[in-house]
Amino acid sequence: MAISLRNLSVDYSLPQGTAHALRGVSLDIEKGELLGLVGESGSGKSTVAFALMGLLANNAKVTSGTATIDGKSFDLTKRNATAALRGRGMAMIFQDPMMSLNPVFTIGTQLCEVLRRRSPGSDRKARVGMAEDALDKVKLSNPRRRMNQYPHELSGGMRQRVVIAMALLSEPALLIADEPTTALDVTVEAQIMREIIGLRDRIGCAVLLITHSLGLVTEYCDRLSVLYAGERLESGTVRQVQRQPGHPYTRMLFDCEVPIDRERQADASENRFTVISGDLPDPRRRPPGCIFNGRCDVSFDDCAVINPGDYPVGNEAEHRARCLRLATP
Amino acid sequence: MTRSQRTAAFIASRLASVVLTIAGATLLLFLMVRLVPGDFTSVMLGPRATPELRAQITHDMGLDRSMVEQLWLFASRAATGNFGEDVVSHRPILDIVLDVIPNTLALAFSALALALVVGIPIGVIAALKPGSWLDSGLALLSISFITTPTLVVSVILFLIFAIGLHWLPVAGAGNPGDIMDRLRHLILPSVALALGWVGYISRLVRAALLDTLAELHVRTLRAYGVSEYRIVGLYALKLALVPVVSILGIGLGDLIGSSVVVEIIFARSGIGSLIFNSIAQRNYPVVQACVVFIVAFYIVANLVVDMINALLDPRIAVGRG
Repeated sequence: MAISLRNLSVDYSLPQGTAHALRGVSLDIEKGELLGLVGESGSGKSTVAFALMGLLANNAKVTSGTATIDGKSFDLTKRNATAALRGRGMAMIFQDPMMSLNPVFTIGTQLCEVLRRRSPGSDRKARVGMAEDALDKVKLSNPRRRMNQYPHELSGGMRQRVVIAMALLSEPALLIADEPTTALDVTVEAQIMREIIGLRDRIGCAVLLITHSLGLVTEYCDRLSVLYAGERLESGTVRQVQRQPGHPYTRMLFDCEVPIDRERQADASENRFTVISGDLPDPRRRPPGCIFNGRCDVSFDDCAVINPGDYPVGNEAEHRARCLRLATP
Repeated sequence: MTRSQRTAAFIASRLASVVLTIAGATLLLFLMVRLVPGDFTSVMLGPRATPELRAQITHDMGLDRSMVEQLWLFASRAATGNFGEDVVSHRPILDIVLDVIPNTLALAFSALALALVVGIPIGVIAALKPGSWLDSGLALLSISFITTPTLVVSVILFLIFAIGLHWLPVAGAGNPGDIMDRLRHLILPSVALALGWVGYISRLVRAALLDTLAELHVRTLRAYGVSEYRIVGLYALKLALVPVVSILGIGLGDLIGSSVVVEIIFARSGIGSLIFNSIAQRNYPVVQACVVFIVAFYIVANLVVDMINALLDPRIAVGRG
């Protein structure tokens, strides 16, 4: 097991009280594997990433959680537990490439900064060469010229490639990509995903892809975990989950995807899309029973009382979901 | 256009505006000087001067001509660097001003350098741990520096280090040929002038740094394990210095203004004390020449500030900033 995250819980202290952003979330990612972490806004996806990196906001507190990365264990409740891994064992690609590079330093300087840490023995010339090489690998045209350009001279997609080049240079065991294509044109999405997969193939790292898009996950990921209101509701291989969603929430998420061949009405307002009605539960007070109970279309009486365990779906050991309907009596 | 062409165009357009600004400021100042009540002849010659002598001096200074004529004469001469002859000392006014300018520039720039060298590190240290006791202590220090008037600071420094301890000279700008002596004479006045600016700069640097540190590109550096010292002291600081440098341009006017007080207290010759004495005498031509130089200095300083900012932030030279 290359990467494992066990029982991660994170609280945010807010003026209105303590919000429990994550409750006992566990994940496993094999080397060379892409795990998609799916959930709607506010489900705690990015909190998982920042807790792993140790970059949570000051009002956040990890109340429990252990990460095992490349055989070493880290107690995430300690501040900066994984500081030694940043830029070495772990790298991250961010949601907003327009903002994630420093506007007053050249691309080259920022890439070489990553190398200062990753290969401390190298001299400047060697670093420049490695950085240029990385830009070439992420298919940024004219890498030598790019090195002396500033971020504002590059498009969003090009800037995201620069950040991917940074990740490439740091040769991580775990790459976290937090909504890497959300802020970009749809036309660039496939290219950026291809570069992330290319990076994975080159260094054989594990990739945690955080996204709200099931489409992205089913297209590119090996396995997926579904996060809802800070709890993991389902996990399995993409094929398993796609064929037989174990949790009603996962099934409803798939139903929300708009099939490309669906018939369209001439009057756009006549079109009907599937939505999941209701809102996320109050993160300060978890209701008893199943966390999804309020919005579930197949709930029964016990769902409001019993907090479901993590049950296997069908006969496949790796595919599990937290729904009482799967409990064997 | 390439970046260097854009930079050249940027500088050219700024130089054109410099010429216009100096012309406008000169006109304004010419009119304003004449609003000061009292006239040169009665101040200089006293109430018992003969009407003939008054008329002679008034004629020598060109004050008997019409305003439009005076302005034209002043402007056309000033454009060629001729500010006329001083009726008191019978020396060319240009020479008088050029004699004292190096003293004032030395004072202003040493004060500015001191303020930057002390103020920026204080701001950086305060921003490293916002809300800590160190931050609060530095805030108290900075704000007391800002709120104590230069006049009070000058007198206190003067009393302690010059009169009380005899560590440093009391007055003057020092022996012209002796660099060490001049530097010793420069210490107290420049500290007095710099102190308020130490406070300003440290507060500005702290605020700008904290704003910058909240930006997303800082998170990128942290995610790649760049040390907090390099992030604050290099990557965030360069960006945070842009607003600080902009304010320095405006602040240089204040620095020259405060130098009037400092030069008088420490009895230094300089453009500040020259203006002060000339206004007291209603010696308009000298005042005018001084102010033209100050305006020119101020404008050139701001041009330099803009160029420094264009160097710091490449987005400015493109013309968007």
